[in-house]
Amino acid sequence: MPEPTVPRRGPSLDIYAVALALILALLVRLNVIPTVKW
Amino acid sequence: MATAANATHPIAVVESGSLGRRILALIPGLLLLIAVGYAGKFIEQSIAAYTKSHHIVFPNIEYVLWAIVLGLLIANTVGVPRIFQAGVATYEFWLKAGIVLLGSRFLLGDILHLGGISLLLVAVALTLSLTFMHILGRSFKLKPKLTSLLAVGSSICGVSAIIAAKPAIDADDEDASYAIAAILALGAISLFTFPLIGHSLHLSDKAYGLWAGLAVDNTAEATAAGALYSDAAGKVAVLAKTSRNALIGFVVLAYAIYWASRGQAQTIGNKAQFLWQKFPKFVLGFLLISLLATLGFFTKPQLTSIANLSRWAFLLTFAGVGLRTSFRELGKQGWRPFAVGAIGEVFIALVTLGLVYGADRFLHL
Repeated sequence: MPEPTVPRRGPSLDIYAVALALILALLVRLNVIPTVKW
Repeated sequence: MATAANATHPIAVVESGSLGRRILALIPGLLLLIAVGYAGKFIEQSIAAYTKSHHIVFPNIEYVLWAIVLGLLIANTVGVPRIFQAGVATYEFWLKAGIVLLGSRFLLGDILHLGGISLLLVAVALTLSLTFMHILGRSFKLKPKLTSLLAVGSSICGVSAIIAAKPAIDADDEDASYAIAAILALGAISLFTFPLIGHSLHLSDKAYGLWAGLAVDNTAEATAAGALYSDAAGKVAVLAKTSRNALIGFVVLAYAIYWASRGQAQTIGNKAQFLWQKFPKFVLGFLLISLLATLGFFTKPQLTSIANLSRWAFLLTFAGVGLRTSFRELGKQGWRPFAVGAIGEVFIALVTLGLVYGADRFLHL
């Protein structure tokens, strides 16, 4: 079965990832997210 | 190929479906990433608990390695069914989010703790090791991007640096897997060899800790190698390693610019615009979080929480790296990456040992 060509969407992926990370960091800063344990 | 290559198929499906279908299509693979990643963490913790309760001296094998190995086992035996592939492909998203969050672990001010001499050693060691690894990579005819990953991994901070550099220079998954495997294997060896060498040379706690922090790649292994020598050496190793980690953003930035300009140099008119388009935006996010952490925007417990969020994101990433890697592709790379990694590590260990030994004798650390 031939493999479809997948267009790269690097920049948008980057921006979404950065946005998610910044939002998570902000929520931690505002104490909205409880202590995250490992 | 039944596993890695076909993993791109469902992405096209996901991109063309409605939002609801796209999210639904991601769930099975995401659950697989979580299961494999958590299994890696569980194995690490179980072995650590067992060896501790039975007083067995056994090196800690990090969850990173377990998650990758479990992923590799699945991908190269039963394979990854189509229904999981879209979700598994999200590991790059978690990777980038994890890198941004990782910025909280790299405080610019930490470098000052080590003082001028230590910082100078970091810079010298970094320059020498990056240069040597590239010479070595060329000598062994490695792919340039694999050489870059090995160079970054062995000179900055192991797996985190490889993970950070991979998307920035658009390297293959197989290259990243090879570089990570080589760095992790060599890091485990250093746990046994570094304390022996340190004791035989009668290095001071500070000199030994600095050496471990400069030469051992992964932060966990560097900390362990330092602590195996003494508590004081362990603390210095952590500080030296942190100052090395602080440079990750700058080196990844330099590599991103290098590869972007090299790949399209002949056809691009507006290089500044091209560089901006190609520039990995997560690096800016990484620097922003690092800056905020340095400015005291977060409290210490909050920084710990952010660092832990980053580790959870990386857990999914490591599982994905294993699940998307084909042994057949790895086999094509041959023995050279491991040879380059091993020779490079020995070189870096010797150079940093010489630097630290000289600084300890003549500059009185």
